[in-house]
Amino acid sequence: MFGPLFSAGLILPFSAPPSAQTDTHLTDEAALIPDHGEALRVELLVTEGVTVAQGQPLMRLRDTPEIAMVAPMAGQVARVEMRPGRQLSQVVLFHDVGGGRHRFDTAVAADGPDGLRVLLQQSGVWRSFRSRPFGRAPRAGELPAAIFVMGVDSRPDAAAPMLALAGREEDLERGLAALAGLAQTSLFFCEPRGGRYGGRVPSQIARIQAGTTHPQGLAGLLIHRHFPARIAVPIWDIAAEDVADLGTLLATGYLPATRLVAVAGDALRETRFVRCQPGADLRGLTQSLVRPGPHDLLSGSILEGRAARWLGPRDRQVTVLSRAVQSRTRHWFGAALAQAAIGIPIIPTAALEQAMGGGAFPAAALIRALATGDAETFTRLGGLSLVEEDLALADYATGARPRLANQLRAMLTRIAEEEDLA
Amino acid sequence: MRRGLWDREMVALLLLLALLPMVLSWAWFGGLDALGRLVFTLVVSGIWHLIFMLARAQPPSFAGVITAVAVAMLAPQDLSLLQLILGISFGLVMAELVFGGWGRNVLNPATVTLAFLGFGFPSSPWPDFAAPIGWAAMLAMAMGFLFGVMSLRLILGALIVPGLALALGASVAGVLPVAGIALALLVTDPVTSASTRLGGWLNGGLYGALIVLFAMGWQGAAPAQIAVSAAFLASLAAPLLDEAALALWAESRRRRHG
Repeated sequence: MFGPLFSAGLILPFSAPPSAQTDTHLTDEAALIPDHGEALRVELLVTEGVTVAQGQPLMRLRDTPEIAMVAPMAGQVARVEMRPGRQLSQVVLFHDVGGGRHRFDTAVAADGPDGLRVLLQQSGVWRSFRSRPFGRAPRAGELPAAIFVMGVDSRPDAAAPMLALAGREEDLERGLAALAGLAQTSLFFCEPRGGRYGGRVPSQIARIQAGTTHPQGLAGLLIHRHFPARIAVPIWDIAAEDVADLGTLLATGYLPATRLVAVAGDALRETRFVRCQPGADLRGLTQSLVRPGPHDLLSGSILEGRAARWLGPRDRQVTVLSRAVQSRTRHWFGAALAQAAIGIPIIPTAALEQAMGGGAFPAAALIRALATGDAETFTRLGGLSLVEEDLALADYATGARPRLANQLRAMLTRIAEEEDLA
Repeated sequence: MRRGLWDREMVALLLLLALLPMVLSWAWFGGLDALGRLVFTLVVSGIWHLIFMLARAQPPSFAGVITAVAVAMLAPQDLSLLQLILGISFGLVMAELVFGGWGRNVLNPATVTLAFLGFGFPSSPWPDFAAPIGWAAMLAMAMGFLFGVMSLRLILGALIVPGLALALGASVAGVLPVAGIALALLVTDPVTSASTRLGGWLNGGLYGALIVLFAMGWQGAAPAQIAVSAAFLASLAAPLLDEAALALWAESRRRRHG
């Protein structure tokens, strides 16, 4: 009702202003890893010990060999770790400037949408897209019904995407124009209300203003509002910085070497924005900032971040949390009860509603559908537009056990299996 | 992983905190007799929670205290201890604990207890309340809304309908204080009231309409009896109202997005 006046959401307590300077920090090690929980069957193109250039393809997907994954930095392949079934675990690189940079042949992109698709897949930019429903990298032949370019990020302590775009207006415009050619469908550019993007945006692209309180600036909520995803209607989202990278790639043939990452958390001496390579080593990235004492490194924000060694493929945030002091030992009865009990239900409150974006969803009904595994109601209530990060705030607010994000993932996996899309 | 504080027990404690002024004023006017009833219902409720913790591994909840308070305040007077135990046990076990505890129940255990006692022992007189307790119920609902544990839509819906009736000259004023108390204690329960936005309006409006209907047409009924019956029927209808609101929501989205 008062949408333009108030933006529903929660104001989160943990925010320290970042220091002014943004420096570039390439860590000594970096790795190429799959998405969390993703079984990625690959065919390696390099062996251990080889020196590779930044952007050089290191592997191809076994099922769709046209999609490549490229080296995040110039360096030497230090370690290749695979899981059974030729599934990628990680490929670790040591930084070595001598590797140079790999130049892509951008001439193919001139051949219309199909050529651009080939370039995107060869250069690894393809895997920056996230396709909903199910929230995974799109398949090779997938045609999106709409693409959401995320120039807004409301997660706590996130670096504003506008900061990453500063000085790259031309690249972004070129990238957006290319995307508009790729999908003969709707293209949305999402920007924060009150801090609109100053550069030019091609005219065929719809601009959406998103609220600034979390979770208003999440792709899931915007997609739910403007173009909900369904089984046969895949919707992609991509960070605006990745689109600018695409613009750079089209202009020069080189992939930009860094992305803007916010390093925050209560175990740090200061919050800082750094430009580092994708897949950067989180320890190397935070070593000079962290306070003494035990701490945990999360790739992602404090809400949805996961303990990790490397920066996740789509993550633009690193959170360093001081490890909680070992709580006093629980009474054996409490421990036994907690173990034997089925999860404690979530009570529908204003906090839950705000955490899911106000009136965007019937929050209580959606949570209930998740808890009971009711896929039909879940789909009817718009759950297919969601991925784990969209429920992270509700998880935080309600302290749900088991976590809503995990319940959502289980539900999505089940639906994908039933639809035979797994 | 850090976590926020809106888990089940925090919600139960905030509800209790919101109700506290009303309960205290009730205890003030009721004296030792009221306190004795409250202690008794607390003990019975506590024992059942303990039994279900030991037998079914259901963590006990402070919601049991809210149930005990509601029963102590609204149950018919002059019941024997056995009758009271029977009523609380039926309501608490059959309406809440067998479903898996607070948060999984469909009906409010206090509402079921009170309906059981009211219909089962109709000769017992219903309690009367001093006017300040009715005002304390308003305070309870204001606090409940501010804490985010009660739905403002439901409260407004439940206040607007009798307010309109009053403005049109219906003689409902005598029922309103007790209706407010039952609203704060029974109808605004976040678990069993309608959870959608439209459902909240409808649920509150239905409760208010039932209050008006009973006040006008139910000869010889005590105000507390009217309020409890209205709360019971409104809570039976809540899932239906939610379902209707969800269907409307889905339909409007289907029209907008295809």
